[in-house]
Formats: sequence, C-alpha cells, structure tokens
Amino acid sequence: MAGEQLALTVLMGLLLVLVAAVLTRLEDWRSYTPLAGGAGAAGEVGHAHEEKPGGITRWLTTVDHKDIGMLYGTYAIIAFAVGGIMAFLIRLQLISPDGAIIGNQFYNAILTSHGITMLFLFGTPIIAAFANYFVPLLIGADDMAFPRINAIAFWLLPPGALLIWGGFFTAPLGIGIDAAQTSWTMYTPLSVEQANPGVDLMLLGLHLTGVSATMGAINFIATIFTERGDDVTWANLDIFSWTILTQSALILFAFPLLGSAIVMLLLDRNLATTFYAVEGGGSMLWQHLFWFFGHPEVYILVLPPMGIVSLVIPKFSGRKLFGFKFIVYSTLAIGVLSFGVWAHHMFTTGMDPRLRASFMAVSIAIAIPSAVKTFNWITTMWNGRLRLTTPMLFCIGFVSNFIIGGVTGVFLASVPIDQILHDTYYVVGHFHYIVMGAIGFAAFAGLYYWFPIFTGKMYQRTLAKWHFWLSMIGTNLTFFAMLALGYLGMPRRYATYAFDGAIAPLAQITLYHQLASVGAVILLVGQLIFVWNFVNSWLEGPATASADPWNLKETDQFTKEFDWYERKLETAIADGGDDDDTLVADGGESVDE
Amino acid sequence: MSPQTFDRETWLDLTVNIVPLGIMAFFFAAFIVVQPWGFDSVLSAVQFSLIGVPLVLLAIVTYYTGRAIFNAEHAE
Repeated sequence: MAGEQLALTVLMGLLLVLVAAVLTRLEDWRSYTPLAGGAGAAGEVGHAHEEKPGGITRWLTTVDHKDIGMLYGTYAIIAFAVGGIMAFLIRLQLISPDGAIIGNQFYNAILTSHGITMLFLFGTPIIAAFANYFVPLLIGADDMAFPRINAIAFWLLPPGALLIWGGFFTAPLGIGIDAAQTSWTMYTPLSVEQANPGVDLMLLGLHLTGVSATMGAINFIATIFTERGDDVTWANLDIFSWTILTQSALILFAFPLLGSAIVMLLLDRNLATTFYAVEGGGSMLWQHLFWFFGHPEVYILVLPPMGIVSLVIPKFSGRKLFGFKFIVYSTLAIGVLSFGVWAHHMFTTGMDPRLRASFMAVSIAIAIPSAVKTFNWITTMWNGRLRLTTPMLFCIGFVSNFIIGGVTGVFLASVPIDQILHDTYYVVGHFHYIVMGAIGFAAFAGLYYWFPIFTGKMYQRTLAKWHFWLSMIGTNLTFFAMLALGYLGMPRRYATYAFDGAIAPLAQITLYHQLASVGAVILLVGQLIFVWNFVNSWLEGPATASADPWNLKETDQFTKEFDWYERKLETAIADGGDDDDTLVADGGESVDE
Repeated sequence: MSPQTFDRETWLDLTVNIVPLGIMAFFFAAFIVVQPWGFDSVLSAVQFSLIGVPLVLLAIVTYYTGRAIFNAEHAE
C-alpha cells in the first residue's frame, strides 16, 4: 500500500514537471515587459532584463519587483474570490434559522477558511502587491534590496494556500483528511483535540504564509532604509512607503511569534507536548500568544491601506495632504501601541481585572491616532476641488466605513460594554466594517488608481462606479445588520440559530440575517462587475495615450511612480522611431518644467 | 528632549502622539490613586508595565522619528 502511494506520488511529480516543461515552451503566453524601456531610459539600470525570458518562464523565474507585485496581486484576487464565495455561502446558510443550504460541519469549515483566506491569503498579499510594485518606484530605487528573497517570499504563498485549503480537496476522497473547523483563531483546546489532519495541513500552510510575510517585511525595511534615491529623505518620503515601513516592522515582531505558537500547537497535536494543556500553559497561553500576534495583524492589514488613501485623496482634492506629518507620527503611534492592546480580545476570559483595566487604557489611547488620520483626510477634502473618480469614491467610502468601524471599536475597548457584546455579531459587524469596508475599499482604490500604470490601459468608468456603489451599499447593508444582530444578542460563528423565541426575538433576528444576506448578494454582483471590468479592460481596452490619466500635473502632484510611467511611455514611443513631438505624452498640454 | 531639539512646528506635529501618551499617563496616574481591586505585587506590576512600556516605547519612537525628519528637513 505504502509502495503504491509512493509510486503514485512520484508519477504525479513527473507529470507536474512535464506540464511545467510544456508550458515553458508556449511562446505566445500573454505577457508584457514593463521594464522594456522605462528604467533603462532613466539610466538607472544598465545591466538587466535585456534577455528577460518570455512566456510562463518569465513569471516562474522573475525577480523584478513589478512582476512579483503582479504575481502577488493575481494571487490575492484569486484568494479574494475564494474567500468571497465562502462568505457568500455563509450568508446563504443563515437565511433561515435552521440553516438553508449546508451542513454544520461544512459551515464550520468554510467559516474557518473564510477568515484565514481573507486575512492571510488576500489581505497581506494584496498589500504586498502594491508595495512590491510601487515602493521601489516611489522611493526611486532600482528594485527591492533582495530581489531573490522577494521571489522566494511570493513562491511560499501558493503552497501555503494549497495547504490551508487542503482539507477541502481531500475531504471528498474519504481518506480522513477534512477541512479544518477550528475557526480562524484556532483556540485551544478545540484545535488541539480535533483529530483531523486537515488542521495540521492548515497550520503548516499558515506557517508558510507567515515565513513569506516576514521575508517580505525584512526586504521592505532594507529597501526603504538603504535603496532610497538621493532626493528621497525621511522628510519627503511618501506616505505609502511610511506605512509599509511601519507595517513591515509590525510583521517582523508579530509573525515570528505566530509561527512559534503554531509550532507549539503542532507539537501538542502530534507529539503529545503540553504547551496548551491544562497542566502546561493552559488554553489562556494560546489566546495570549495568538492575540499578541493577532491584534498587530489588524494594523498590519490596515496601515498600508491608510497609506493608499492618504496618497490618493489629495490627488483628487486638488491640494496636498493636510497634516502629512500628523499621519506619519500617528502611523508610528499605531504601530507601537498595537502591541499593547492584545488582551482586549480576551476581556471575558476571567483574567485579572487590573490587567483588563490596563488593556482598556491602551485600547482607548490607540483610537486617537486613528481618529487623527480620519480628521486629516476630511480636512484634506474640505473645500477642496473634489473629482469623484472611482479611486476617490473608494477612498471616501473607506473614510465613511472606517468611521463606523472605528467608533464601534472604541465602544468594544470599554470593558463593561465588551462584556455584553463579546462574541456577538456586533463584533463581526465592527471588524468587517474595517476589513471589508476600509481595507477592501482601499485595495480597490489602489487597483483603480494605478490601473493605467500596471496595465497600460484604462478601466471602464461606468462599470467601476457601479462596482463602487454596489460595494458601498452591500457593505453597509450586510455589516450594519450585523451590528443590530449583535445588540439583539445573536452569538457569532453559529451555523444555525433556531433558538427558543423566549430567549431572543427570533423573528427580528431572522430578518436582520436576511438583510445581511441581501447585502451579500449586492456585494457579489458588485464584485462580478469588478472582475469583468478588470479583466475585460486589461485585455481589450485601448492603451492609455497619456502618462497623466488623472491630470496630476495640474496640481503639481505628479508623483514618482507616474513619472516612471511617463518615461516608460516616452521610450516605448521613441522606439517606434517617432521623436520630439511624441515626447509630450500628457495629451499635448504644455507643462511647466 | 529639550525644547531646543525641535522647533515650534515640529513640536506642533508631535502633539499628535503626545495626546495618546497623555491618555496613557492619565490612566497610569489614575490607577495609582484608585485601586478598586487592591494591590498585588506581581499583578499590579504587570498592570503598570502594560501601560508604562508602550508609553515609554512610543515616546522613544516618536522622539527618534521626529529627530530624523527634523534633521532631514534642515539638511535640505
């Protein structure tokens, strides 16, 4: 039996090698070479990329930061689709109190996987996508400090995803490996005692994504510290790079701790150690370790999106960012304080009230830098010359959703309120306003804002606005209904809620669940439009004629990444043999230079 | 961190972090004055460190970032 399995494994391996070999021979693989002229035109890179391979070999072997950024982006969007479909199934299930479509076990599996997918396979990678592509351009670097480590960091992610989702693939085979049902927090003793090897696969996958994030973080810190152009100082470093720098520092301290905690969990599960057993550290140990990582993770996910919003809002407000340094300092404040608030996730565990009080104090303090940013964004827009382009709409949506998500969070920081609302849908509503309403929206703002740079095309504006409005309405319907459900006492994570009507108003709860599900349908339609628009515009859209699609020169906000793009367009045109008159690539308008 | 270290503008920028520092300092002092759960040498030490350590770290990070930006501005 073991021999047969071994033979099968070897055979599968050979097949994969064969497939890879065939694919490398496909020369007409849809690809482009963004570095074909741009960097060379600036005289920055004189040595590389002349013989950049074509086809899929290029994508498998690339160490170019922009290519790796594209890989991260593709990966993140696929993960977003997977996690989104899981979320949609969750919402369909909860249309009726008895559960509408799936069994409880499968519900638990997709609930677990939805959380992990969105946070680790979409959130962190989509930020890495923007950071990889744009940080070197924004700071005037040739590439990342360690291009090969950059590639390795990405290539750890696909096996990570396969392991995390592994249980879903193996469950139909009936070999006893099912998808993990631990919830994304993997609380012990549940996660220790579930015999399912799918949990081990998930933990190993999570470990890989953590190693990937840590490698990426080291690379970004080294890049921003050592690879900045001569004209980029700490005083004029752009806001997105500041947030990436802070985020990378958080990753450096948070993710290795998660890795260690996961290794201990694996040991407890497989080698009978007692790290989290009652006679050992106890289940509270896991919660402390997990949340010491888990809360900074929230800021790991939200700081760069805040950077994107801080970068984009001024561009469409016709003025500079109000209080640039306020935002820099408050980003750092969030970074430091994020490590001092972890136990506000554990207020109801029965920990000593003195410790609880301290965590409450720091949790309240961390609200200030977040609020400062919000006021800065609003003040930047105040009396500005607003242009409601799609990226700007997503930024405004971000601010609006972030206010609701943030204010509901301040309430949860207060111990007595948290004790009532803990583990209810109020918490789910609160953090989804942040992760979808804010982080997701900022990701879309970034994708639309930089779309012309990384595709050379322009998206379809009407479809993009449909995407925004459906996302905005869907987000607020779904997650506001969750806040109401929380007030009604609906506990989170349950696959069904057919409880006694005397305990809670079942009819009302059912109604709010249905409203949340309607919101999910609206969200789904919006995202389908996004995917269609994104793919269709990329493949079929006309090439952008101008390097300044947002008229940034008008307000003197033509930043370095568009500068790079302009050089790229100019050299591309010059290659065709056309000279001077084509150099004015912004549509012929005169520019003060 | 003498007043000469930074100019008035930089101090104004730094207020953004002085506010959370102030909130934490307030709670630190309040928990010294009011101790509804009594004093325990270990738990109270942890309690005050949980506020004190982030407070000191934030002050240090703010100071050094302020210095880096201030120096970069004045080197231009």
